[in-house]
Amino acid sequence: MSLATIRAMQLADSGFPSGVFAYSWGLESALAEGQVCKRSLADWVALDLRTRWHRFDRIALAGGFRLTGEALSGWFETVDALMPVETQRRDSAQAGDALFASARALRIAMDPGALAAQAAGVGHFAVAHGVFLRACGLDLGTALETSALSLARGAFSAAVRLGVAGAITTQRDLLALAPLIAELAIAPDAQDLPSGAMLLPDVALMRPRQGRLFIN
Amino acid sequence: MTAARVGIGGPVGSGKTALIEAILPLLAEVGIDTAVITNDLVTDEDAERLRKGGQLAPDRVRAVQAGACPHTVIREDPTLNMAAADRLETDFPGLDLILIESGGDNLASTFSPDLVDYWMFVIDVAGGDDIPRKKGPGILQANLLVINKADLAPHVGVDFPNMLAEATAVRGGGAVLPAICRKGSGIAEVVAHLRREVLFK
Repeated sequence: MSLATIRAMQLADSGFPSGVFAYSWGLESALAEGQVCKRSLADWVALDLRTRWHRFDRIALAGGFRLTGEALSGWFETVDALMPVETQRRDSAQAGDALFASARALRIAMDPGALAAQAAGVGHFAVAHGVFLRACGLDLGTALETSALSLARGAFSAAVRLGVAGAITTQRDLLALAPLIAELAIAPDAQDLPSGAMLLPDVALMRPRQGRLFIN
Repeated sequence: MTAARVGIGGPVGSGKTALIEAILPLLAEVGIDTAVITNDLVTDEDAERLRKGGQLAPDRVRAVQAGACPHTVIREDPTLNMAAADRLETDFPGLDLILIESGGDNLASTFSPDLVDYWMFVIDVAGGDDIPRKKGPGILQANLLVINKADLAPHVGVDFPNMLAEATAVRGGGAVLPAICRKGSGIAEVVAHLRREVLFK
C-alpha cells in the first residue's frame, strides 16, 4: 500500500477532526419537509454528489489544490462570489475555520494565500480542503476521491444521527455509490468555474427552520 | 492564543448555564476578561440567554451547534469549538478566559485536552444521590465537580452531606464544590478555585 493511499484513508475517515460532522448541507431540512425519506436517501446523496459536489465543490477544491499565494487568495474570493446565498457563504466559511483550526493543531502548514483568505472571512471549506489535502501529500485525483467520499459519508452519518437510517444500511448504500464517486472524481479543467443553483439541495439549505440539530 | 479555555459539562438541566451566569459578575469584579462559547443541542437558547443577561457584550457569546452529538463537538472532533475560541481571541485580544459550555449530555462526556486547559462537571441533587456512585468519566475525570441545587436536597429525598462525601470519595479527593447557582451560594468558591488553579490571577 502506498503512503498516499494510507494518508487518504486517514483523511477520509469519519474520525478525522474537521468539524464536518455538524453539517448536513440541507439534508436535515429536506428530511423534515418530506423531500427525502429513508427509502430515497441514497438517491439524495447521489444527487448531491452529481450536482453540488461535482459542479461546485470539486472545482473549488481543485483550484485550492492547484493555486498558491495571491492566486489562491483570489480563488477563495471567486468561490465566495459564486455562492449566491448568504447563509451558504457563512456556513462554508465556518466549516473552513474548523479545518484551519485542525491544520493549526496538527501543524500542517496551509499556504499563505489560504491564511489570508481565512483572515478576510472567506476561507471556504471546499477550497481550504484542497489546500489542506495537498499539504498532506495527496495527489489531486486522490484528493477529489477523498472529498467526494467524505461528502457521501457525512450525509449518511447525519441521516443515522437523525434516526432515519441505520448505520449498516448506510454502509451498504455507500458501497453501492463507490462507482459513482470514482466516475465523478475527475480533475476539472483549470479554467472551469464552480456553478451554483443545485435545486433541491440548495433550496433545502436556504429554508429557515427552528429546532435544528445541524448547522445547516 | 493565551486565554485559558475552561470547559463546563454536565447533564441536561444540571445548571451549566446558571453557573456561568452566576460566575460572570464575580469574574468581572476582579478584572478577568471573559468570553463564552455555548454548544446548544437544538437551538441557540443558552447563547441567547447569556446575551440577554447583559453580563457580557453580545458578541462575546458565540454559539456552536453540535450536529446531534454534544460529546463529539467537545471530544472526538472539537475543531468547531477550537475555531470559535481562536476567533474570539482574534476579535478580543487580551482575553483571560474562554468558558466553553457543552450541550447537556450523559455522565460519560469528557472534554478533549486539545480543546480545554481545565474542565468542570456540573450535576444537581435532583438528578439523584446515586449519581456519584455511578462513577461516569464526567464525575471521575473532571478537574472540578460542582454539585448544584443543594437547597433542593430535602425536597427530593437526598442526604446532601452524604452525597458530597460520596462524590469526594469516588474522585479520590479531587475537588468537589457544592453550589446553589440561582441563589449565588458557593459561587465565590468556584471563582476562587478557578483563579487559583487555572488563571493564576
